[in-house]
Amino acid sequence: MALPLPPGLTPPEIAFLCEMELVTVIPRQRLEGLELLGGRLPPLNPPHRTPLPLWLALLLKRQRRANILPPPWLSPHSLSAILEYETKNEEGFSPTPRLPPLPSNNSIMFSPPFLPSSTAEAAPDALPYHWLELGEMLLEAAADDFEDSDNVRKLLQGLREVRMSKLRKGVELLDAEGGIKMNGVGGMEVGEARAFVGGVIDGLRKIVASREQQRRDREKEERENGYPSTADYDEDEMEMQ
Amino acid sequence: MALQQRIRGRQAHAPGSTFLAYTPNGNKLVTVGVDNFCRIYSTGSDDEPVTIDDCQENNSAIVAGDGFFIAGSEDGVVSRFSLERNNMEEMLVRTNGPVRDLALSPDGNWVAVASDDLTVKVVNTRDMMQIQYLRDQPGPVKHVAFDNSGSRLTVSCTDGNIYVYSLSSEEPSMIKKVDGMIKRLESDAEASSKVLWHPDGRAFATPTPTREIQVMSFSDWERQRSFRTKHSADITAAAWSPNGAILATTSSDLTLRLWDASTQTLLHEYNDLKATILAMVWHPTENILSYTNNDGELFIHTDIVPSEHASLLQKSLQPAPFFHDPSEGRAGNAQPKLTNGTKHTLPDRARRAGTPDSLDDILGSDGISDDGVDDFVVDDDGAGYANGYGKRTNGHLGALQNPSSKRRAYSSSSFRPETHEAFQPGSTPWRGNRRYLCLNLVGFVWTVSQEASHHTVTVEFYDREFHRDFHFTDPWLYDKACLNDNGTLFSCQPSGDAPAIIYYRPHETWTTRTDWRTELPRGERVMAIALSESYVVVTTSTNYVRIFTLFGIPLRVYRQKASPTVTCAAWRDYVLTIGNGPIAGDGSCQLLYTIENVKRDEVYQSEDIVALTPHSTLSSVFFSDEGDPFIYDSTGVLLTLLHWRTPSQARWMPLLDTNLLSRLSTGQKQESYWPVAVANRRFHCIILKGQDTHPYFPRPILSEFEFQIPITGPPKEKSEEDEVMEDGDEEKGRKANREKERLEHAFLLNSTLYLQLLDTITSSRPSPHQRQSLSDLEISIDKTLLQMLGQECLAGEDRGMKALEIVGLMKDNNGKMLELARRVAMRYGREVLGEKIGELAERRAAQIEEED
Repeated sequence: MALPLPPGLTPPEIAFLCEMELVTVIPRQRLEGLELLGGRLPPLNPPHRTPLPLWLALLLKRQRRANILPPPWLSPHSLSAILEYETKNEEGFSPTPRLPPLPSNNSIMFSPPFLPSSTAEAAPDALPYHWLELGEMLLEAAADDFEDSDNVRKLLQGLREVRMSKLRKGVELLDAEGGIKMNGVGGMEVGEARAFVGGVIDGLRKIVASREQQRRDREKEERENGYPSTADYDEDEMEMQ
Repeated sequence: MALQQRIRGRQAHAPGSTFLAYTPNGNKLVTVGVDNFCRIYSTGSDDEPVTIDDCQENNSAIVAGDGFFIAGSEDGVVSRFSLERNNMEEMLVRTNGPVRDLALSPDGNWVAVASDDLTVKVVNTRDMMQIQYLRDQPGPVKHVAFDNSGSRLTVSCTDGNIYVYSLSSEEPSMIKKVDGMIKRLESDAEASSKVLWHPDGRAFATPTPTREIQVMSFSDWERQRSFRTKHSADITAAAWSPNGAILATTSSDLTLRLWDASTQTLLHEYNDLKATILAMVWHPTENILSYTNNDGELFIHTDIVPSEHASLLQKSLQPAPFFHDPSEGRAGNAQPKLTNGTKHTLPDRARRAGTPDSLDDILGSDGISDDGVDDFVVDDDGAGYANGYGKRTNGHLGALQNPSSKRRAYSSSSFRPETHEAFQPGSTPWRGNRRYLCLNLVGFVWTVSQEASHHTVTVEFYDREFHRDFHFTDPWLYDKACLNDNGTLFSCQPSGDAPAIIYYRPHETWTTRTDWRTELPRGERVMAIALSESYVVVTTSTNYVRIFTLFGIPLRVYRQKASPTVTCAAWRDYVLTIGNGPIAGDGSCQLLYTIENVKRDEVYQSEDIVALTPHSTLSSVFFSDEGDPFIYDSTGVLLTLLHWRTPSQARWMPLLDTNLLSRLSTGQKQESYWPVAVANRRFHCIILKGQDTHPYFPRPILSEFEFQIPITGPPKEKSEEDEVMEDGDEEKGRKANREKERLEHAFLLNSTLYLQLLDTITSSRPSPHQRQSLSDLEISIDKTLLQMLGQECLAGEDRGMKALEIVGLMKDNNGKMLELARRVAMRYGREVLGEKIGELAERRAAQIEEED
């Protein structure tokens, strides 16, 4: 009995993960600092900028208690530069944001939810892991905080299409035990690609499997006809597959 | 003049469109029309005009300079004629389509040709090989007009837009496209869309589609006042009188109207016209308006301005009809009005260099006019208008370098010190009909001037829940405001008999609201106001500092030692006042500040110097949220005052140089920073793009910057190629170097903040939070030093001396840090260093014991 859901993460789940990201808000109301499971949230004091997790920022934005500052890479200028890079370079994706220098004597690896990749101080020239879902969510909930939201929406759509077509093109190579370099691919794109990449791989496996079945049937017939058998060897190979 | 002489038309040309021009001295008047000759009339004589024959037919434009005139015709020929020999000299340029308009630069060297071609040609009148092409407009051009300096050309295109070009550079460039001012017109329409530069050069006017004359200021492209002409048909011609006091308009409804420029009211109307006037020119000096109509007739209308208004024409150059004159200054301190003589109660300071509307600034390298603009407005009657508006003073050259203009001969003294103009921190000057009175981290106060003589003041807060926004109608015309968490303070200037008023409005109280007003003595002007949590401070034009309590009780009045006063700031019990002091080396006054504690009646710093670099000015002064004074100057540096509670120990310390910000390191951005506040050890400002000097509406968002003491240059951005090319060692070395710079900066910054906080704590009852942050700072200083020590130890044995010095810098209040340092040295195997650190620790311990 298979789960009704496809394998991997569904888009809502990816969006949920994305809500851990920190964004910068300009509060319009005071709020005491909150002690939460995920850590302490700084007190809000208008008009001081404060980094908050996206889920809380969206909540405050919907209640008109804060304005969200879009990260610098969501400006039309940066997006069009990245889009140009993506369309010019046929292979590979635009580079991910540079990691900050590791704090010394600290072995904890820093990864996106704990990096300020979407705050107002983020790098303007690179898309972070959650770029698509974060951009969509901000455009949906806080379009009035963008300078030129229509243009941003257009550019995001353009970026998405360019990058998805690259991913699809990559799948064509999968046939001959090739691989795709997926550096810089975002979370939502992985989730989206999983559906059809998985489908393609499954399909390939089925084709191979049916061919295998045929061969096995043929060999069985041959064995019954008294030919020398190599079945043990074959079966081992099957298990290895 | 009871029997007004009937104005007789002169049949200058065959019936049809006729145009005219005066020579700059007004002696001669030249007309062209449909027939193939030009006529030259002499002013004041009724003789038959001189006729020049060898001319094209169907002339459509004419301009006249000294000793020559230039006519353009519908067959596309633009020719120059001599007024001395009365013959045609040469053909200057040919266009493909009919010529529609000509404009001559004020110096007579360049003529702009508008035609049905898409490009506008600007031809040198002496050398027709020198031509500049203006190609940004998409359609045929109906009118062209030079501004008074000759460095800018406005092009009225048939697509309903005005294109403004700057001709001061080698290659002309379009600086602005103004849409919505003029009507779309066919290029051969009788109606006009000509840009009329006001003679004072700071504004221009155009006929609008609604038959008004709309004035637009040049510096900020804001619409200013407009003349409701009530013409029943399209305006066909309009002209400013030579001093800008009167505007004449006419339209195809066969009326000619004269308007007072300052009030936009109708002075006189002539409705006995027979045909539509197509061109209209004021005589440069006399009360004559000459015009030609579409019937070939020329009218030289003497005494056009009725005698009851004729005095208007005698006035010196009048300011353009702005809503609020930009020269009123940053804080709306209206300069003394234009008066005869150069007496100023307060010597005015020249406009700051770098404002976009300072002509001299833009014209620094003027490609067109050879002798500059200084001579254009010649102050030949000593009326002072050449510098009354601060435009023509060469302030950016400094006061000591008095330029060799004609002004010198008339000014009584060749040297006049420049005083710093008074300003209100956090306010902006009028732009259009609005301005911010106060902008800080609590909220902002802005005012809009309404049609009638009142303003509407709005107070908005960032924290909408804590305070409620409010607005009110303001008949007193408040021009300064302060805002904090407790209340809002307003002040207005005296006008007529009414004295200046101070108005305090608390946000909320536990009784009924107790807002109060108090009047200053008659004639005393408010120069700056400040509001703290316990006091109200007012500095006035009589150099008094007046301190009130929050309930309006006058607490102290004293005369400021440094005068004239510049500004003031207040925080809790501390009051900081700034005034002009003795003259410094650059010829302008040094600013002196005084800080006092009102409650303890104690002066901390008396008449100490505000450290500014030569030729820079103070942009803002404020207290941070921790109560330390900060200034921001016109060079973009934020400075704080260290040790300001100890007399004569105060020192100005730069905490941020905005020129070194990494965001500017690419060199592509052109932006400036408008200071708002310092809070949470960050500099809050508004980023202004391009040439803007002040924030405007809608309110831009605040940006914050970390402090960055200018030690080294901005971090260099590496290009990608470099990264690839670098060897591992080199990369490591650079990284270490950057890390070293970062640590050094952190050390210096934290030490500064530590000293400041220590001062604050020792002079007041510290809160636990302050104690905590002091010890945090202490630890972070020592930590930074430990990291630096680690780096030095890593670098090698020979760096031991420096390592020991770093250890010597440690605060080490708990005695553990030196032990830690010794351990660090041991870990890197620096035994000698470790021993020396041990000795140091012992010495320190012994010292402490001795002291005990």
